[in-house]
Amino acid sequence: MNDYNYIGKEIPRVDGPAKATGQAVYTVDVKLPEMLYGKILRSPHPHARLLKVDTSAAEQLPGVEAVITGEDLQEVRYAFVDTPRYPADEQPLATEKVRYIGDEVAAVAAESEAIAEKALSLIKVEYEILPAVFDPEKAMQEGAPVIHGEQSASTSFWEDWGVAQQKKTVQEDPSINNLSGHTFVSFGDVEQAFQEADYSREDRFELKPTAHCQMEPHAAVASYNPLEDKLHVWLSTQGIFLKRLFLSKTLGLPASKIRVHHSFVGGAFGGKIDLFPYEFCAAYLSIKTRRPVKIELDREEVFMTTRQRHPIIVKIKTGVKKDGTILAQDIRVIADNGGYRGSGPVVIFLCHGFSFPVYNVPNYRYEGFSIYTNNGIRGPQRGHGAPQIRFAIDSHLDLIARDLDLDLLTIMHKNVRQEGDVLPNGDRLDSCGLTECLMGAAGAIDWQKKREQSHLQANGNRYRRGVGISLCSMFSGAMYYPFASAAVVKMHDDGSATLFTGAQDIGQGSYTTMSQVLAEELGIGIEDICVVAGDTELCPIDLGSFLSCTALVTGNAVKKAAADAKRQMLESAADLLGLADPAGLKTQNKMIYLEDDPQKSVSFAQAIQASVLKRDGNPIIGRGSFKGYPRTERYPSLAKAKGLFTGAYGFAAQAAEVEVDTLTGLVRLVKAVTFHDCGFPLNKTVVEGQIHGCVSMGAGQALSEEVHLEKGQLFNPSFLHYQLPIALDTPESAEGLVATIEPSGPFGAKEVGEGCVAGILGAIANAVHDAIGVRIYSLPITPEKVLRALKKI
Amino acid sequence: MRLLEFDYFEPRNLEDAVTKVREFDGNYQIIAGGTDLLTALKQRLSAPAGLVSLDHISSLKDIWEEDDVITIGAMCTLEDVLSSSLIAEKLPALNQAAWDVGSPLLRPLATIGGNICLNTRCRFYNQSSFWRSSRDTCYKAGGNICHVTNKRDSCVATFSADIPPVLIAHGARVRLAGPKGVRTLPLEQFYTADGRFPHVIMAGSGEILQEIEVPLPAPQVSCVYHKFRMRESIDFPVLGVAVMLKLGEKKSGKYCEDACLVITGAEPAPVEAVQAREELLHRRLEPGLLARVAEIAASEIHPIKTSLISPRYKREIAKIIVTDALKKAGGIEE
Amino acid sequence: MEKTIRLTVNGEEKTLKIGVQQTLLEVLREDLGLTGTKKGCNQGECGACTVLLDGKPVSSCLLLAVKADGKTVLTIEGLAQAGELHPMQQAFNEKGAIQCGFCSPGMILVAKSLLERNPNPSTQEIKEAIAGNICRCTGYLQIIEAIRSFVS
Ligand SMILES: Cc1cc2nc3c(=O)[nH]c(=O)nc-3n(C[C@H](O)[C@H](O)[C@H](O)COP(=O)(O)OP(=O)(O)OC[C@H]3O[C@@H](n4cnc5c(N)ncnc54)[C@H](O)[C@@H]3O)c2cc1C
Ligand code: SF4
Ligand code: FES
Ligand code: FES
Repeated sequence: MNDYNYIGKEIPRVDGPAKATGQAVYTVDVKLPEMLYGKILRSPHPHARLLKVDTSAAEQLPGVEAVITGEDLQEVRYAFVDTPRYPADEQPLATEKVRYIGDEVAAVAAESEAIAEKALSLIKVEYEILPAVFDPEKAMQEGAPVIHGEQSASTSFWEDWGVAQQKKTVQEDPSINNLSGHTFVSFGDVEQAFQEADYSREDRFELKPTAHCQMEPHAAVASYNPLEDKLHVWLSTQGIFLKRLFLSKTLGLPASKIRVHHSFVGGAFGGKIDLFPYEFCAAYLSIKTRRPVKIELDREEVFMTTRQRHPIIVKIKTGVKKDGTILAQDIRVIADNGGYRGSGPVVIFLCHGFSFPVYNVPNYRYEGFSIYTNNGIRGPQRGHGAPQIRFAIDSHLDLIARDLDLDLLTIMHKNVRQEGDVLPNGDRLDSCGLTECLMGAAGAIDWQKKREQSHLQANGNRYRRGVGISLCSMFSGAMYYPFASAAVVKMHDDGSATLFTGAQDIGQGSYTTMSQVLAEELGIGIEDICVVAGDTELCPIDLGSFLSCTALVTGNAVKKAAADAKRQMLESAADLLGLADPAGLKTQNKMIYLEDDPQKSVSFAQAIQASVLKRDGNPIIGRGSFKGYPRTERYPSLAKAKGLFTGAYGFAAQAAEVEVDTLTGLVRLVKAVTFHDCGFPLNKTVVEGQIHGCVSMGAGQALSEEVHLEKGQLFNPSFLHYQLPIALDTPESAEGLVATIEPSGPFGAKEVGEGCVAGILGAIANAVHDAIGVRIYSLPITPEKVLRALKKI
Repeated sequence: MRLLEFDYFEPRNLEDAVTKVREFDGNYQIIAGGTDLLTALKQRLSAPAGLVSLDHISSLKDIWEEDDVITIGAMCTLEDVLSSSLIAEKLPALNQAAWDVGSPLLRPLATIGGNICLNTRCRFYNQSSFWRSSRDTCYKAGGNICHVTNKRDSCVATFSADIPPVLIAHGARVRLAGPKGVRTLPLEQFYTADGRFPHVIMAGSGEILQEIEVPLPAPQVSCVYHKFRMRESIDFPVLGVAVMLKLGEKKSGKYCEDACLVITGAEPAPVEAVQAREELLHRRLEPGLLARVAEIAASEIHPIKTSLISPRYKREIAKIIVTDALKKAGGIEE
Repeated sequence: MEKTIRLTVNGEEKTLKIGVQQTLLEVLREDLGLTGTKKGCNQGECGACTVLLDGKPVSSCLLLAVKADGKTVLTIEGLAQAGELHPMQQAFNEKGAIQCGFCSPGMILVAKSLLERNPNPSTQEIKEAIAGNICRCTGYLQIIEAIRSFVS
């Protein structure tokens, strides 16, 4: 079954040469004739009423072409979540209030960046400072400053697309202040099960906000052409169709009047999905000035205003039998989503979504709250909830294992889900390699021996080692706009092909893996394929490169499109060879031959020419599509977590060995192990690269990365002070790819590249405990926290 | 952020440079490598009318030894320092400190003079103008409040350059060229301990740092620089310590004839741990002594929260790096 | 204030009129259209803007263009010759060292200059050489592998 020609092979990236030579054009590189430069005026206050914005002096400045404020855009609302329950709460430019430091107040377009900057300094804004709140638990209390109060009318994008119509906005618990989202799920009888448990314990974990740190800063170029009445945009984005929807709704333009052009994306990690005010403003300013407008954010703006990972508080209680069998679990999650809702209701839903596929917990209660504060807005980031919840659950299980004097591995093995399990919401695990991953990772880190060694370490040793392990899960696509991905394969008359896909290669290698799928299915070489991607005008719809849907959803669409093209070629070939039907025909190397009599063959070129000449001029165009989740037509309910979530879960077990310097508190990740069930690796180099990236990001977030906020002000908006890993931090690494062959995936593939950021956190936290004998309940595990835990400072 | 416009001068000799500086009457900045200055200008920490570049004063780019003094021109880049065999051989701790500065992409540009003249740093100060507009202008930036101490008219921003501790430990002097001629100062006297104007040039002397003179260390001298930072590149020191030991040999073992300990990253100027030195003098190097000396050294610094690192943690780190550096300088195995 | 400088860029000698406040990065990207040199932070903290200045890797965002007067600059565009990838570009592509590609121009130039100085670097020396270049995508492993493939 594995005798593929392209699938599973280490094919070099098809976009590699362009990137290696500097030819690849990213949004920041786009420069158009007559282009203006835009800049945004932001609020320096975390919470204030806007009294007056006076732009007259700025407008007078020579070289300034346009200045806009919230006044110009009163009605425009949008949001990552925009449903009847959760109406859109963001505006491109503030009207009544500003709600965090960095909130957009005005925008200018000018002949140069320098003039634009000068113009900003000439805009006078009067604020009335309001009391602000920065701690979600305080924001929930009665009497806390109310950040959103009145909700204005929603645009409810999603209603057109299968979300149940609902009349009223629900705020279920009026006693909770600043609530932006609520998820409640329960099954079994939790109280009863806790009664029956031999042992139970409760813990509280906390995670700080972290930043994506895509190396390419956010940027947008918009060019409105009045002759066509058309808006052309270049965006650094991971989902062109979602962006087009946002722009079309907010600008009031039909989809056909907006074209998102392809540009390379210098990293995304979930931080380039939302519509951002700078994108809207670039578009609006271009329409207004009838000239191209470019807005490029400074690194500081990227840190402050383009979303962070949600800081989360997790309270978790688990009841177990003596042997470690989990009977009941009660989880409560509070997410601080900052001044606007962002993806708050989604992350609290996903914390459940990434909690329950891993262990079989018969009695379970989960409640999540997302809360407004006057911090920066939070949105999706690689794993979106998974790192937070997996860290909490597996740290907690490690503590239980220690209390009961059991091996954590034993508890994990006892409770992990198996292939064939049906989750409480109805999702089926048609492939699930958790057990194999767990065994693989434990073996690769040398679990038994290392755990014994860590117990034997002399107390006086300065450097102490320990090992830890954790598990994670991730969706492979889900139901959200545009709900499906499609692909078109256009055959050329020499037998080569062009693939049209809406999916954007954000670095994850999709142009390469999709080329492999096409090459394998069709029987042509990688060099025979040209990929046209990331352009809303040329390409069919695509879910976008997030929620890990590319491999499974787009991959299936490409495979089906290739199969469709092949079917047409085989029909034509059958005619040429005088066969009644194409049943016995095979393809390879751009040739079609009869399997039983390989001498009987025609080339792709011949089949295509024949098709044009003899089959109604058909030049052979294959098409394929695949739904975000074939078994449903609806979004899952974020509030009740009802409905189907995803067609396939990717899983991983991750183990870490750390060395703690007990004098300085520095923790060094010595070795990281990931055993990943990604169904089937379409390209080993690509999959390993994704794992390495996840491990590095996860290790950073476990040990050093933190967005430092004081009173809503971000103290480290730079790579100098936001401590993301550098080359010298690279650990030894081992990976194992567990092939479970997902039946619904193209060639058995499913999620890769997202989930593995999650398990490494718990693995490191557990390893640190193993090394120093003390638990650290909050991430990142900084040297200061280590020394405090050791009672040295 | 782009740079605002300014005039740019490239004098060919020191006299012209000094004259140019005087013409500007304070509204200028000297640019050496520019690796620190450009970040500050982009953050609008100052908006000088002119920059005076020292690039074309070739006399500032040499390293030579004469009469038991090693002289290093202020415009030598850290790469120059690293590739000098004279320094590698005679002043290995300086080589180490140069290696520890910033990242490999800065060292070919960054100069030793710029490092010595580096401005102090603070988490409320080294931020963009937008960032700073959320608060009242702090004292160092020209206002009258310090966000760290809440005092009106003092600044405790932290001196964080890596190279000066080693030079001070070696007893280096700096040669300054100014309107009143040339003078030399012991490097420790170059610093003012005022976070706002950390050295005599920033305090307005109108001078230019010309070169650094390091007395050739005696053969029994061993000097090390030990830098502690979270990531082993890019980052400024959380703390750094230079330890110079002059060792004597007695029957009972090695003992300390002379010593100097200088710490960076703790206060507005490099701190000489004088009590720690006292404790070391004439004593035999044994673990108990080293621990005591480290405790004393740690108690001699007064860190304050000007970075994201807590003062308590810095104190603890001081003990550890001082101990480690003493062991290394004293040749004591773990 | 404007100034005329002479710069040898990718083997071609150029006489350029520039603003003295322009960084070399701005001159390369905006005046010369050499957008292969990237801007990740503009503050000397990421290495995306690395070019080789007289053979040495430097952050071009912290270098005033006037200071490069009379010097030789190699950018990523000058590496591939006659349509052939430079062996280091080839190795980066084959080993999976390129993902989003934004750090790649800087990384590749640093790697090239490392091997010119030190044809046989240890893994630690490789890590030290690229320690000023941040990559968020790859976790550095495949980058290190690509450079190591030149070490005998
Ligand atoms: C990301 C990053 C990381 C860094 N990490 C470190 C670090 O780890 N350790 C460290 O020590 N530094 C670090 N630095 C700061 C800086 O790069 C170095 O200190 C460097 O040595 C400064 O030298 P320069 O020639 O670039 O100075 P410039 O930027 O040219 O000048 C610095 C200051 O000194 C003045 N000056 C320079 N030369 C003279 C002179 N001859 N006479 C009078 N005044 C003069 C200038 O006017 C200016 O105020 C870092 C900088 C960055 C951007
Ligand atoms: S210590 Fe005080 S005065 Fe000095 S820079 Fe910091 S906030 Fe400003
Ligand atoms: S852009 Fe120059 S170092 Fe980041
Ligand atoms: S490949 Fe994306 S930052 Fe390195």
